[in-house]
Amino acid sequence: MISAELRFEGFDARSWTNLVSLFMPGLPDRLDRAADATDSPVAASGPRPTGSVLVVVDEDDVVLAATHTQRGRVRELAGTAIDRESLATLALSAGAHRVLVVREGAMEELAEQLGARFRSDDTYLAQVLELLRAARELEGAGDLALWPNPIANVPIPNAATFDRALDLVLPDGRAGVMVLWDGPVWTGVVLRRRNGAIDLVAGPDALVRWTGPLGGDWRRDYRVVVDSVARSVAPVHFGLFAEAPTIRTLLRAADAGQWAQAVAVRNVVLSPMPRTVAAALGADAVRGLGRASARALGGLDFAGALLPLVREVRARVTHASTVSEILGFDPLAVLGAVLRRDEGEPHE
Amino acid sequence: MPRPVARLRPRPILDGATLRLGDREVPLRSGAMHYWRVAKEHWRDGLRQVKALGLPMVETYVPWSVHEVDFADGVPTFDFGERDPRRDLAAFLDLAAEEELLVFLRPGPHINAELTGFGLPARMLDDPEVQARTPRGNPVVLYFPPHMFAVPSHASEAYREHTAQWLEAVGEIVAPRRWPDGPVVLMQIDNELGFFFRSGPFCQDYHDDSVALWHSFLQARHGDLDGVRRAHRATYATWSDASPPSRFAGDLEGDDRHGELARQLDWAAFAEHLHVDFTKHLRRRFDRAGLGELPTIHNVSVGEGGAPVSVASLGEAVDLVGLDYYHPTREQRTIKRRTLYLAGTAPTVYAPELGVGAPPWFTPLAHDDSLVTAMTACAYGLRGFNLYMAVDRDRWYGAPIDVTGHARHEATAWRRFLSALETTGFHRGTRQARVALQWPREYQRLSRATHLLGTVSNAVLEAIGGTPVELCRADALGFSQPIQHAWWDELARMAAALTAAQVPYVYVDSEAPIERYEGYDVVFAPSYEYASPARFEKLAALAERGVHVVYGPRLPSRDEALHAADFPRPGKAPPTVVDDTMAHALVADWVGRFELERPYATLPPVETTVHEVDGEERVLFVVNPSSAREAEIALPRPTVAVDALTGESITGETSLRVAIDRESCRMFVLQSERRKAPRARRRA
Repeated sequence: MISAELRFEGFDARSWTNLVSLFMPGLPDRLDRAADATDSPVAASGPRPTGSVLVVVDEDDVVLAATHTQRGRVRELAGTAIDRESLATLALSAGAHRVLVVREGAMEELAEQLGARFRSDDTYLAQVLELLRAARELEGAGDLALWPNPIANVPIPNAATFDRALDLVLPDGRAGVMVLWDGPVWTGVVLRRRNGAIDLVAGPDALVRWTGPLGGDWRRDYRVVVDSVARSVAPVHFGLFAEAPTIRTLLRAADAGQWAQAVAVRNVVLSPMPRTVAAALGADAVRGLGRASARALGGLDFAGALLPLVREVRARVTHASTVSEILGFDPLAVLGAVLRRDEGEPHE
Repeated sequence: MPRPVARLRPRPILDGATLRLGDREVPLRSGAMHYWRVAKEHWRDGLRQVKALGLPMVETYVPWSVHEVDFADGVPTFDFGERDPRRDLAAFLDLAAEEELLVFLRPGPHINAELTGFGLPARMLDDPEVQARTPRGNPVVLYFPPHMFAVPSHASEAYREHTAQWLEAVGEIVAPRRWPDGPVVLMQIDNELGFFFRSGPFCQDYHDDSVALWHSFLQARHGDLDGVRRAHRATYATWSDASPPSRFAGDLEGDDRHGELARQLDWAAFAEHLHVDFTKHLRRRFDRAGLGELPTIHNVSVGEGGAPVSVASLGEAVDLVGLDYYHPTREQRTIKRRTLYLAGTAPTVYAPELGVGAPPWFTPLAHDDSLVTAMTACAYGLRGFNLYMAVDRDRWYGAPIDVTGHARHEATAWRRFLSALETTGFHRGTRQARVALQWPREYQRLSRATHLLGTVSNAVLEAIGGTPVELCRADALGFSQPIQHAWWDELARMAAALTAAQVPYVYVDSEAPIERYEGYDVVFAPSYEYASPARFEKLAALAERGVHVVYGPRLPSRDEALHAADFPRPGKAPPTVVDDTMAHALVADWVGRFELERPYATLPPVETTVHEVDGEERVLFVVNPSSAREAEIALPRPTVAVDALTGESITGETSLRVAIDRESCRMFVLQSERRKAPRARRRA
């Protein structure tokens, strides 16, 4: 996944926080959160569910301590018994998005398990997967419980499987680029994979060093970016270029077809577009087509917009392997579900 | 024949937040630039930009794992520029001197710096003799990206021996470049002690050498094995039976419970002792390597309220202990608490890492977060700091100077802020505070012992925006209330009342020497069924000197081993039970009785702080932890206040009307005819 020799460079505070805000559901909440009332904040009620409740229980599921990640201790839970089947109710009453129940000693057990399995020559990916496996075992034993658990049925792949999936997205020795504009460059990132792992994450400052000044029209500038990264970093396997609001919306999109539509009308430019991405878009487009033909939205002819893309995809795809097939789940769908939930639920 | 008089080598003297270099006085302000992460051709530009920010000093780590390029037959090979010019430490130091910058050096051995292995060589971290141990003897693994590693044991003799080779190598380069022969004026010993963030009560360290040290600690604390038996209510036949606890037995009763509590409190105290012991060991190694004769510093990471480190105790091993600051703007109250803790506990308030930007795997911080954190900390008394990072580098974002040595847009605000600190002489400044809240370490230890979330320790919870008592057991453990929560709540209550009344105060660690209490009119001390006898002797002594000591809700009746003990009553007053109403009543009483001043008062939750320099009121901060957009500030006299960042000048006869952003801080330089401080009093 990431190399022990990872190089991360070229971000100022704005470009980095912009990038992270695309993928970090809690960030807008944190920025909006009211300031602490005293030197040492105590629990206070909030107007809407937010954050998580952490509950530590004993062998009989009686609460030893509970805290809300944004409001502090939840005193009224202490001494009560937890009903594992009613964690949704608990979340609601505590004004939280999520509940994590931990049996006393479970975290220590997790640390012991990780220590016992630890191999310093493993990759970070293998180490993280081992940690997840140990946590999953504790979950199976009833020592950990998370509600809701968006990855409950997601299998934990082994490192080799993950690497095969990554091969499709970003083969070894190649680079991936994303640049988003909101007027000027809003954020951007270059990833390079070398010796099986991501060894470079570079931001807009580095991009500018490689490209020189850009013209200002992102639908033209992207070509300069791709050429410069290819010269300075590695041949580019995929590039994604768009305006920031477009990508923010697409990452949270629940409707099939939205990505494909955005590409078709050039609100998103994918260049180069590897065949696996094309295949995924093709599937997305076909799914979207079904819906689009069932309803008319604002007079836009979805089917007409998507058909050329579908034809092109069919012509280019020579095998059926996809990231989802290899991993056993669709990572983009999981991310979208998490983002939608964490940012949408407070307003529901 | 007269004996020749040895010429004493002049040394840098740390005097508050001022470094005295002979006749020259230098404010304790620096900016970080990692030479090995910047192309050598950009060094000069980077250093010049550091200087252009208004900083007299550049700071850098010296990374062991980067310089050690080979290790064979027990002998390391170091590259200090022979193979890679970016590793040329000597050239970097010489260039800094050429650019008339002083140097603050941090050679570890542990440095973090977001390096894989935290700057420690992998071959050493893989040595089982070096690795810290869990209760079951497994290595203690740190999860940080980009590679997990087994953390070293601070007690490990093997680790301690390895560090000697490194420090000697550094000494060869640095010793000849110490001031006055070179630019190096300050050294930091190790980095952010606290078990490498694996500081849950039973995370570590069960390494054989640590257990041996635990036994010597018990012997020193309880006299002999018999004393330990009595304290722990145990039947240890030999020292090896007195093993460290690996869980908290919360279901015991009576004397067994007292024994368990005593053992847990010993274990929590031992963790602090281990860090002090390690630091003292390193200091001796620094001296032997020719790195002595320079003032020494140690930095404690965010989350110190729940960490197994004591600023007061570490102060025995180094000249100055500071806190690192990485906060979003909404944590202004936390910044306040941390700064007031240093103001009461340390000789001066110093931040070895005042975050400008952050590593990519931490909570994202915007430019405003960094600047508001810096200004808020100064508002409450931060006198010196190291901007970390001043120059951008690998595994970091948000520094004001990029990696090629060019100033970014954000540099302008920092330059103005630093200029205002310089022109006002802020490092020599003082802030009035006549109330001290005592930080009771024996109860903080109980909070650590009763923490329930293991590796996600209370220090970690505090560092991510919570409190250090967040997930402690909620049961009372046989006391009248859960002391592990109560002490924190009681201090919070008093702080809230003092804040509402706009009375300046500080926190003083109970283990700080009694001199740290000098000048306070009021000391407030939480106390429950058990307490440290030494703390109460200190309180009694303060009461005898005329300090108004308020304690409670109980006069303790047991010592830290939970043995019955007589405690001197500090003063004549009985213990006080402090609920919210009583907290406000107490503060009102103190304001009247001691004529506590509340200068430049405004309407809460907005706060003001005023700082005197050379006896004159010189700087006014307006801190807004709320969404208020305007503040009216009462003036003691007609005043002109000039905003340090914008240059805006605001004039008032009896009050100032100031526009303020949400969760912000404004710094004003005061200009008036009569700014003399009213009278001599306690300075923080």
